[in-house]
Amino acid sequence: MAILNNIISTFSQKHLALLLIILCLLISSAEYGQQTTDKINYLSPHNRLIFGNYLYADKDYLRAADEFKEYLKVESSDTVQFRFANSFFKIGRYTDAIDNFKNLFFSSSISNESRLMYYESNFFLKDYKTFRDLAERDDYLPIKFQKEIERLKFITYFFDDAFLPDQNLFLRSFPDSMQQQISKFYQLKKYPKHRSVTTAVILSTLIPGAGKIYTGEIGDGITALISTALCGYLAVTNFKADHQFRGWLFTGLAAFFYTGNIYGSAASAQIYNARVRFNFVNEVKIFFDQRNYLLPQIDF
Amino acid sequence: MKTKFLIISFYFFIAFVTEGQDLLHSQFEVADNLFNNHQYFDAITEYKRLLFFDSTKTYQYEANYKIGECYKAGAKFDEAIKHFFIAEQSAKNDSLVFDSKVQIIRSNILRRTTDRAFQLLDELEKDEKFKDRIDEINYWRGWTFMFADDWKVAARAFAKINYNSELRILADQTEKAKVSVTFAKVISYILPGAGSIYTGKILSGLMSIAWNLAAGYWTVNAFTESRVFDGFVIGELVWLRFYRGSIKNAEQFAIEKNIDVANKSLRFLQNEYKGIKP
Repeated sequence: MAILNNIISTFSQKHLALLLIILCLLISSAEYGQQTTDKINYLSPHNRLIFGNYLYADKDYLRAADEFKEYLKVESSDTVQFRFANSFFKIGRYTDAIDNFKNLFFSSSISNESRLMYYESNFFLKDYKTFRDLAERDDYLPIKFQKEIERLKFITYFFDDAFLPDQNLFLRSFPDSMQQQISKFYQLKKYPKHRSVTTAVILSTLIPGAGKIYTGEIGDGITALISTALCGYLAVTNFKADHQFRGWLFTGLAAFFYTGNIYGSAASAQIYNARVRFNFVNEVKIFFDQRNYLLPQIDF
Repeated sequence: MKTKFLIISFYFFIAFVTEGQDLLHSQFEVADNLFNNHQYFDAITEYKRLLFFDSTKTYQYEANYKIGECYKAGAKFDEAIKHFFIAEQSAKNDSLVFDSKVQIIRSNILRRTTDRAFQLLDELEKDEKFKDRIDEINYWRGWTFMFADDWKVAARAFAKINYNSELRILADQTEKAKVSVTFAKVISYILPGAGSIYTGKILSGLMSIAWNLAAGYWTVNAFTESRVFDGFVIGELVWLRFYRGSIKNAEQFAIEKNIDVANKSLRFLQNEYKGIKP
């Protein structure tokens, strides 16, 4: 104690004050350094997370996924894992989304939401048969969203050639406000307004152009009829005028128009049917896209 | 005593501030390295990280400008223009504003939105601040005209900078190598097939002449033999079909040839031209 008193006495009061200030600044700077190391290390997990969240909000999902990935290497968070998977979902990388939503299936507070997103990702993969098989499995189904998954399962029937389930069973999954529209889709899917290729061919064989008219190509049908008839007529008159070359030329042309028209009618019927299918799928897709496939919007 | 205290406090303050600045600068260098190595995706991430943590907005111009360049290199022109625009807004002097605007023009040229490029070039030209950079304005105007497929005016724009410039000569040669669509059609009206021959499709032109001669003969022959209906039908279905066909062909061939000529010049510019490109 006496030694300490001796040392203190050797310093003047002014020097002591200066020493104390320097000491305070050093301590505070060291502490500040400690605190700010994390703040200024742009690649620290915390900074990666906030930067990833910023990118995610800015819809730069691919870069956000990279940041979340790095964060998840050192920290564990269900919501970040969800965002990581959802980033892939948002950019259409459904296989990656599926793999990552799976990680949240067990012992997670957002298990139901993750399972729903897992099914959504599978749905958007467009392998509808596999999706239906998956929807039948109980072990993956989210308890909270079973109705939604069942609805998705029924929607898949509109998009492929699978045999449609019973109408009552089908309609039961959809809300009352949509019953009429869904019923219309169901009927269109079950009884599509197709044109028969055989009928088109037979009609065109009997009357050139009739097959085309049957498939809705009225202008083409009339043109085919006139072309065939005129070439036939020209062939006859040229033969009558003893112009053998021109006679055979127009005979060839008439035969060309006649056979071409039969082939064209068959093709036209196929195109008509493809158009009906395309328009139907398009209409259904727009209808459900606008309503987000009757699914809740989930994000964390 | 007071002075000593002030000096020490100032030292610590400067130490804190410069440490932050150094880190930002290091981050900028990291991003620049990626940019220089053409790793544009990663470069954008790092520039964006820099912008996110740069609360003083020190690198607002540089980072956005580079992000724009990265997006442009990846042909994401909408995104590129967005970032060049932000760079322009945060530019510290007129020269940097000009550079950003020129980058927006170059992106518009590549995006083929040449009308917008012309509009921006007009704005630059009218601006008194950029009077000394008129050559650059003319240079990009020339490029815009080339991408708008107006090689004649492009040559004029390059001639304002240097009459003997490579680009002026190329634009002139391209213009001369092109054929007139109207002329091809007009000569096809007079002699069916002539338009096709003019555009270099000799066989097609000769075939067209032969078909028209044959169909014309059959039509006239039918009329002379008093087969009036035959004459009308052959004339309408065969002769007129080939006559109209030869005109349409000539027009189509001329358009195709002009596209080929322009594409050849654009390929040269892309692969062999050594000067600054959009």
